[in-house]
Amino acid sequence: MTEATERFFASLPARAPAVLRSPVSGTLQIDLSRDSSRTVHWLVRLRPGAIEVSRNRGPADAIWYTSEEMFDRLVTGRAQAISSVLRNESSFSGDVVLFLLFRKFFPDPPGTHDPREAARTQLGRLP
Amino acid sequence: MKQLVSILDGNTFLVSDNRGDVEPSLDFPTGLFSFDTRHLSTWLLTLDGERLHALSVDTAESFQTRFFLVPGEPTHYLDAKVSVIRSRAIGGSFAEELTVLNHSGKEMEFVVRLDMAADFADLFEIKHVRRKMGHTTATVGEKELRLAYRREGFHRETVVTTSAPAHVEVSGMTYRVRVGPRGEWTTRLHVSTIVYGARGVDIRANLPLYRGSRDPDAIRKEQDDLIAQAPKLGCDCQPLAGAYRQSLTDLAALRYESITLGVRLMAAGLPWFMTLFGRDSIITSLQVVPFLPELVPPTIMMLAGLQGHRIDDFRDEEPGKILHELRYGETAGFEEQPHSPYYGSADSTPLFLILLDEYERWTGDDKLVRGLEAQARDALAWIDTYGDLLGTGYLWYQTRNPDTGLANQCWKDSWDAISYRDGRLPGFPRATCELQGYAYDAKIRGARMAREFWGDPAYADRLEREAAELKMRFNRDFWIPERGYYALALDADGRQVDALTSNIGHLLWSGIVDESRAGRIAEHLLGPRLYSGWGVRTLADDQGRYNPVGYHVGTVWPFDNSIIAWGLWRYGFRQEAGQICGAMLEASRFFGGRLPEAFAGYERSVTDYPVEYPTACSPQAWSAGTPLLLLRVMLGLEPQGEHLIIDPAVPEGMGRVELLDIPGRWGHVDALGRSRTPHDHPRGR
Repeated sequence: MTEATERFFASLPARAPAVLRSPVSGTLQIDLSRDSSRTVHWLVRLRPGAIEVSRNRGPADAIWYTSEEMFDRLVTGRAQAISSVLRNESSFSGDVVLFLLFRKFFPDPPGTHDPREAARTQLGRLP
Repeated sequence: MKQLVSILDGNTFLVSDNRGDVEPSLDFPTGLFSFDTRHLSTWLLTLDGERLHALSVDTAESFQTRFFLVPGEPTHYLDAKVSVIRSRAIGGSFAEELTVLNHSGKEMEFVVRLDMAADFADLFEIKHVRRKMGHTTATVGEKELRLAYRREGFHRETVVTTSAPAHVEVSGMTYRVRVGPRGEWTTRLHVSTIVYGARGVDIRANLPLYRGSRDPDAIRKEQDDLIAQAPKLGCDCQPLAGAYRQSLTDLAALRYESITLGVRLMAAGLPWFMTLFGRDSIITSLQVVPFLPELVPPTIMMLAGLQGHRIDDFRDEEPGKILHELRYGETAGFEEQPHSPYYGSADSTPLFLILLDEYERWTGDDKLVRGLEAQARDALAWIDTYGDLLGTGYLWYQTRNPDTGLANQCWKDSWDAISYRDGRLPGFPRATCELQGYAYDAKIRGARMAREFWGDPAYADRLEREAAELKMRFNRDFWIPERGYYALALDADGRQVDALTSNIGHLLWSGIVDESRAGRIAEHLLGPRLYSGWGVRTLADDQGRYNPVGYHVGTVWPFDNSIIAWGLWRYGFRQEAGQICGAMLEASRFFGGRLPEAFAGYERSVTDYPVEYPTACSPQAWSAGTPLLLLRVMLGLEPQGEHLIIDPAVPEGMGRVELLDIPGRWGHVDALGRSRTPHDHPRGR
């Protein structure tokens, strides 16, 4: 598994209070395929303000399937989750609300700037 | 322009010419589409090598059509020895029954041929054709033709099967048939559109609500069930009765199952907009909430679930922002277009808050408002942070995706829609006036939700204070004293973009207009420059860019007029609101009760009938919602606490209007109204 993915899962409990503010609870299993024969499993239990991360398999309310490589791009902001589903590089089954909630942990694309700074700089309103 | 015939079920739809044929088209989306992909680009019937001509087409229902066809040119119709009936229906998949009728007294032999092809074009590739990145294959089977498209993991298929034996080739099916004297021959064709998921199964099979393909009876029952839940309208005005019925049918037909999300959402309009739009779905929901409140929660839930959470320049996304448009096709998947989803609208976020509050006021469903507190707070925060791009206390927009993003991120989103009076275009960013009205209303409604449901009176006070400050600021900066109306927008330097537009009507709806100025606004809206006789034009007819057939610069939009009528009512201009209601309903008669997306801004006295905008979408959700909102305006329906206030002001000559079983937190109530004119005989209620 990739280092970025490891770091991402390790960061989740600390970020949960800011990200998980909806009254939604449930378990999402994330299956990451390495090659045709191996799949790495993560299990996240989401509830308001908190997340538990483990390396178990189900039972889960939803399962999200993708490749290790794809997931690495998601957790580093280099790819976006929903387009990956539309082109079938990711897929999921089960409760979609959990998928939509979990994607909020994914970061901005690398090198992103605050659009307000850009707009104000363009008009010479910022130093 | 050739007359086109469409049938639809959710976001699967078929657009053909008036004999039922589909030929590759480069400018208009003809063919069979499902989830933004064209599954049939050719579907062309010949009899003995000859094209057919339509004697008549039955288009009474949204999901099925029947074509009565004969070979040859119109002059030969009288002695046709053979005719063809082509019956088709759409219900998840597409089915067509072909019947050849031999009218002669002897046995005849015919060659029936259907040309078939699928280009698997993404809807965005119709106008901008390019070479497909994936590859298409065709597989011939016994009584079956399978057309497939693959690009990496993206996999779509069209499977055509026939009931009668045929000679199947990669380009179509041919039947050599013998038909006895006065006999007939029939084959049934079935076309499945398959969207493959990761495990090689149709993605939709995993959706909790997916019912697979349905027959016409099932669709009719579902539509009837939905319509049965709506209040019953009794009225003397035939156009109103017809428009109401047509609206309910169209709204039922436009519901679709989201491929990725597993809930039933409302598509915005056939053929270009058969998907979820933030603005369109919110405005439609606002129009229908008094009638069919159960249509609203899935839209609110999905918009909340897809709320922006990161800064993404390609998608114009920011934390807290509500989406503009979600697409399902190849160009969205492979990021050639930003619709996964795209967030390029500055109004969907305040409109989302307005809808959430309006929905609760009607239904008393406080669970939704409580459950979405976090999303609503994020939306309110967006208005004051990322939305206020320049830090001047207004909502501004400027795309960060100059290639495929939208320049104008308000409802008038065509490139030339926002102009000065003399026709010049302002630079970016731009702050259009109606955005500020929506922001004002969103804060007022946010305050109510914070006080009543979120237990945060301090936040409520703050929002109300900010709203009051915004109203004061707006009336100072946008008002053009010498012209007596509000500027369309502010440009980046804070100068007024001074065109006279229908946007000022939205300001009445929002309540941001100073009472003392409302009369001037009403006069402009019903004055000769904006009012065509059929409705309020998007742009006044003496402005630099006015064009009676310009998409947002002179046409009349029914939905726009419904919001304007609501605004006039809000400020007490009942007669003026009624005038718009009456004109819209009269216009609807010319479209069989189905108001199109837009019609031309010509003066009513010049054309005598409303001229449809050339490529207008129809049916379109917020046009279908228009007669509903007009009814609300005429009957003066407004929830107050646990009750429904009914304060009718029915326009002159419309007679009796009664709406029975209006659902809401009060259970069901009836509203009765009648116009008062000299020639209406007074009758007891």
